[in-house]
Amino acid sequence: MEAAPNTEALDEQFKEFIQALQSAVSRAMPHVKDDPKIVDKAIEDCKEILDVVMEGNVSEWFK
Amino acid sequence: MFNEKLELKDFEKQDPEYQDLLRRVLAIQADCEIGGPNLYVKDILPNAPTKVDQLIVARTAAEEMDHYRKMAKCAGDIGVDVSYVLSWPNQKRYVEAFRGQITTWEDFAVFGFLIDRVGRYQLEEFIGASYQPLARIVEDPQVIREEEGHIDFGTNKAAEFAAKGGEAKERIQGAVDRWYAKGLDMFGRSESKRSERYMYWGLKRRTNGEARRQYTEEVNGLLKQMGLQIPDPNKGRLYT
Repeated sequence: MEAAPNTEALDEQFKEFIQALQSAVSRAMPHVKDDPKIVDKAIEDCKEILDVVMEGNVSEWFK
Repeated sequence: MFNEKLELKDFEKQDPEYQDLLRRVLAIQADCEIGGPNLYVKDILPNAPTKVDQLIVARTAAEEMDHYRKMAKCAGDIGVDVSYVLSWPNQKRYVEAFRGQITTWEDFAVFGFLIDRVGRYQLEEFIGASYQPLARIVEDPQVIREEEGHIDFGTNKAAEFAAKGGEAKERIQGAVDRWYAKGLDMFGRSESKRSERYMYWGLKRRTNGEARRQYTEEVNGLLKQMGLQIPDPNKGRLYT
C-alpha cells in the first residue's frame, strides 16, 4: 500500500507544533500567580503557533 | 458479520466497500478533530476570562491537533491525504456542528460539555474495530482521557454558570439551546444504511440511533442536575 504524499512530513510537522504548544503551556502554568511575563510570553507563543495551524497553508510548511 | 482483525498490509485485499468506508470515516474523524480548534481558537484564545483559561484553551487545541495527527497518519498510510481539511473554511466541514464560530466563553463551555461528549462517543465506536491501526489509536488511554478532560472542563464550567443563577444561568441555557440539536445531529440518521454497513464490517459498534439514545440519556441527566431546561429534541434538527 502506497502512503499518501507527505504523510510522514505532515505527521512530523504536527508533532513539532504540538510539542511547542505543550511546552509553552507547561512552562507557563506553574507561574500563573507569580510571573505574568512568562505567562504572557507563553500565551503569545501559543497564539503564533495556532495562527499558523489554523491558516492551514500546508504547502508552505513543506518548503 | 465480518470478524477479522486487519493490519495496514491487509487493507488493499479488502472488499471495496470496506476500503471506501474506512477512507470515509477517517477523513470525517480527522476533520472533526481539527474542526474544534478552528471554531474557538480565533476568538476564545485571546478573550478567555483568565490567563489560566487561555492556557487551557491552547492545551485543548494541542490535544485535538494530536488526535487529528493520529487520524491523518492512519488515513495517509492507506493513501488518503486529509491535509485538505486544514485549509477548509469552517463552512465546508463535513459535520454541521463545526461550521460556525465560537465567540463566547459560555459557548466554549457548552461545546466541551455537549459536542466533545459526542466526540467521545465517536471515538469509542472504534474500540475493538476490525482495522487495528484505527483501534489502537482509541485504545491508547491517552486519547479518550484527553477527550474526557475537555468534556469535564466544559461540564464543570457549564455547571458553575448554572449555579450562579440569574443572567449567568440564562446565558448558559442559551448556549445549551444553541448546541443541543447540533450534538444530537452529529450521530447522523437513525435509519442510516451506511451505519449498518459500518457495523457489518466491524468499523463501528453501535447504530446511530443507539448511540444517540445513550448520549441523550447521559446529557439530559446532567442538564437536570444543573437545573437547566432540556431543549426540545426535535427543534432545529437536521437528522432524526
